[in-house]
Amino acid sequence: MRVELTNITKLFGPLRAVDDVSLTIGEGDFFTLLGPSGCGKTTLLRTIAGFYNPDAGEIRFGDRLINHIPAHRRETGMVFQNYALFPHLSVFDNIAYGLRARKIPKPEIAERIARIIKIVQMEGLERRAPSKLSGGQQQRVALARALVISPQILLMDEPLSNLDAKLRVSMREEIRRIQKELGITTIYVTHDQEEAMAVSDRIAILNRGRLEQVGAPAEIYYRPESRFAAEFMGSSNIIEMAVTGWDEDHSRIAAETAGQTFSLRGEKPSGARITLSVRPEWIRVVAGSRDGEANILPGTVLSSTFLGSMIRYRVSGPGGKPVVIEVHDPDEGSIRKDGETLWYQLPPDRPLVIRG
Amino acid sequence: MRKSFQAWNIILVAIFVILFFAVLYPILYIFKASFVNPETGAFSLKSYATFLHYPYYLRCLRNSLFVSTLSTLLALAIGIPFAFFLSRYKIPGKNLIRTLGTLPLILPAFIGAEAWLILLGRNGLFAKAFRGLDMEIPSIYGWKGIVLVFTLQFFPFVFLMVSAALNAIDRSLEEAATNLGAGRLRVFFTVTLPVVTPAILSGALVVFYLCIENFGVPVLIGEDFRVLSVQAYNEFISELGGNPSMAGALSMILLAITLGLTIFQKYWVERKNYTMTSLNPLEVKRLRPLPTFLIWLFCAGVVFVALFPFAVVMVSSITKTQGPVMYFGQFSLENFIRAFTIAPRPIFNSFFLATTATLTGIVFGIVVSYLLVRKRGAVSYLLDILVMLPLAIAGTVQGIALAATYNKGIIVLTGTWMILVLAYFIRKAPYSIKTTSSLLQQIDPSIEEASINLGVPPVRSFIRVVLPIMMPGIIAGAIIMWVTTLAELSTTIVLYYGPWATMTVEIFQRIGSGDFGPASAYATILIISVLIPLFILNRVSGKDLASSL
Repeated sequence: MRVELTNITKLFGPLRAVDDVSLTIGEGDFFTLLGPSGCGKTTLLRTIAGFYNPDAGEIRFGDRLINHIPAHRRETGMVFQNYALFPHLSVFDNIAYGLRARKIPKPEIAERIARIIKIVQMEGLERRAPSKLSGGQQQRVALARALVISPQILLMDEPLSNLDAKLRVSMREEIRRIQKELGITTIYVTHDQEEAMAVSDRIAILNRGRLEQVGAPAEIYYRPESRFAAEFMGSSNIIEMAVTGWDEDHSRIAAETAGQTFSLRGEKPSGARITLSVRPEWIRVVAGSRDGEANILPGTVLSSTFLGSMIRYRVSGPGGKPVVIEVHDPDEGSIRKDGETLWYQLPPDRPLVIRG
Repeated sequence: MRKSFQAWNIILVAIFVILFFAVLYPILYIFKASFVNPETGAFSLKSYATFLHYPYYLRCLRNSLFVSTLSTLLALAIGIPFAFFLSRYKIPGKNLIRTLGTLPLILPAFIGAEAWLILLGRNGLFAKAFRGLDMEIPSIYGWKGIVLVFTLQFFPFVFLMVSAALNAIDRSLEEAATNLGAGRLRVFFTVTLPVVTPAILSGALVVFYLCIENFGVPVLIGEDFRVLSVQAYNEFISELGGNPSMAGALSMILLAITLGLTIFQKYWVERKNYTMTSLNPLEVKRLRPLPTFLIWLFCAGVVFVALFPFAVVMVSSITKTQGPVMYFGQFSLENFIRAFTIAPRPIFNSFFLATTATLTGIVFGIVVSYLLVRKRGAVSYLLDILVMLPLAIAGTVQGIALAATYNKGIIVLTGTWMILVLAYFIRKAPYSIKTTSSLLQQIDPSIEEASINLGVPPVRSFIRVVLPIMMPGIIAGAIIMWVTTLAELSTTIVLYYGPWATMTVEIFQRIGSGDFGPASAYATILIISVLIPLFILNRVSGKDLASSL
């Protein structure tokens, strides 16, 4: 089922929790709302579920406008952050809850529960009380309960945030597997960018109620459209420069900061200044300044963190602002000490300039 | 969502209407009456002037304050060490002592007063024995008897609150003090005691409140020693026609005190409470045999003296009696036979009224709890204050207010059984709301949302999911409501009329006329009716009900 949000706004008093958000979520997509706490992602999800009425805008499931359909008739399956399992009901009865509300005949209930229990791999635990389950098991029950009603849309609100790090990784793979298996349109809320990248077909980055960028994980990673998107998806060095020239034939920008000149790939800049987002692993450590090669500059190592497969330097950058550089699979002999000078090159042929 | 929102708004308005007419309006009514000259109907400060002018009235206030202060101090003197010993040291039979130690909370105080009259009254057991020996025994009448009964009856509140605070202290706190070089006594006085001080203060306020509010004990045992609650009642009931203005003025003075105490408790003492998530509770120490024995003797002794009166009443009920003269040692079931055959009506009345009030209170409690916990805001804050207000009103005052308000006019309730139910339900519903809302607070709202999301409409979701989870709180609240209603005297005595006399009224009147045998029979039925549900609930849920009071 396709989900379409048009100019959705949700106010809490003076606060614009969701501010004029428009989105289209394709059939069968795993779509993630990503952002820091308070960015409005949960509010947006709860608006889709029908727990909030939007103050403006339209919500459509397929072609059908559902603004005025109450929450209990929206046919969405929701997995809550704390799972919200009914403590007085067994695993079986928890999962059966939605089916019984739909007056589905008993034999079919048993059959559907058996099938979903197999999918979430909870066989043999049907009679358990929720309090007697581990966090991961509770998570599976919550998922089964949401899925068994064959919802048109699956909504998940930070479903992994209560699990430990290791379980989080295996559960997210599990969720992705089940989602693919059922081909169900899924809207997933998280503040964890790694989790978002791992599971999503597409991601929407939200900041202070507004949409920052929507796209596939790689799209946002390689071509962030805002400083916020760049910094929130992975880490990035943000460098501001003044534009000094534009070469239309080769699509190259000449720029300058702190007396250093740079040559960058990119479209015609709209203003006199540009902002660069340079991923730490894109920066190359070089032997020294070489003629004919652009964007090479020296810096002093401020600190370094050795992580085995990778070493991360903090180096004084142009204008004094530190630059983070990651060198993968470093040679033992090449490791620099704090205070040493290190020459590095910003990639001349990658698009670094943030659009917009 | 929108539809259910409207439904809740309608319910909210209905609740405010009920609370206004049952709680606020009657109080305002007697407030106004206290400023009206009953003869002329004009505005007048006469009643307050009379109060201040005549030593007779001022003495009532002084007496009330005196017995309440003294009883509170004594309750602290017993309750604090009792709590301290039980939570810090190994004592034989500790659990039994703890359970029995909380029992006086739910047993009606005026029955305790009856027992002391049986023992030490003019025709009492000891009085006769001592008279034979030509010795004087201290009189039980007057302030001494009142203080004795109050202390024994109410010290468990101090005990419960202080032990809760002691059990919430993390072991590391005292260890840190020791580590910093403090000796045992220094640790106690500089760390332990200050940390439990808010609890001690809370306990003291509760005890003081219960003493000053109490009607049954001073009226039975005080004789010429008049206190405010008794005097207000007398002014209102007086056979010479009563003085609503004076009764109103006395009620207002009593209300000012109880309300002041409650506000002080809520906004000052509660805020000072130190909350600690206790991970490692304090170590329970084993002492050498002699100190252990002394501590045991103290604790067991206190429990024995506090519960002894109720045993006396139960024994009296199966003893041959003739008016105030009891033939101890001569077994007889006559008192019970009379209670059940000649005058069973009060038993029926008590059960009927308590059950009706409880059933109403359950529904009211569930709805109000839901509104308080789930629909937060200025309105629910106001609702909270209004619904808890009766807890700050003395029973006598509430009775007088209701009786005076609904005596004439469009709605006449005075003299019907409905006014009793109304009074009970409004006064006892706060207990149900407390137990229910504290449970509801622990239920995450997403539980309900999960149900709605799965296709069950909001109100049905509440019934199917939230209600079952709340059930233990509802049952606990219902039982507290039921037993405290059954034992209610101070409001009932103002509001009942002839055929609707309850067991408590019957006991009260029989004691007054020195008819101890039948009084004891009703009292025994009452004690057993109170203890059985508490015992069952304790067995089923392991819940310590006294702590919910």
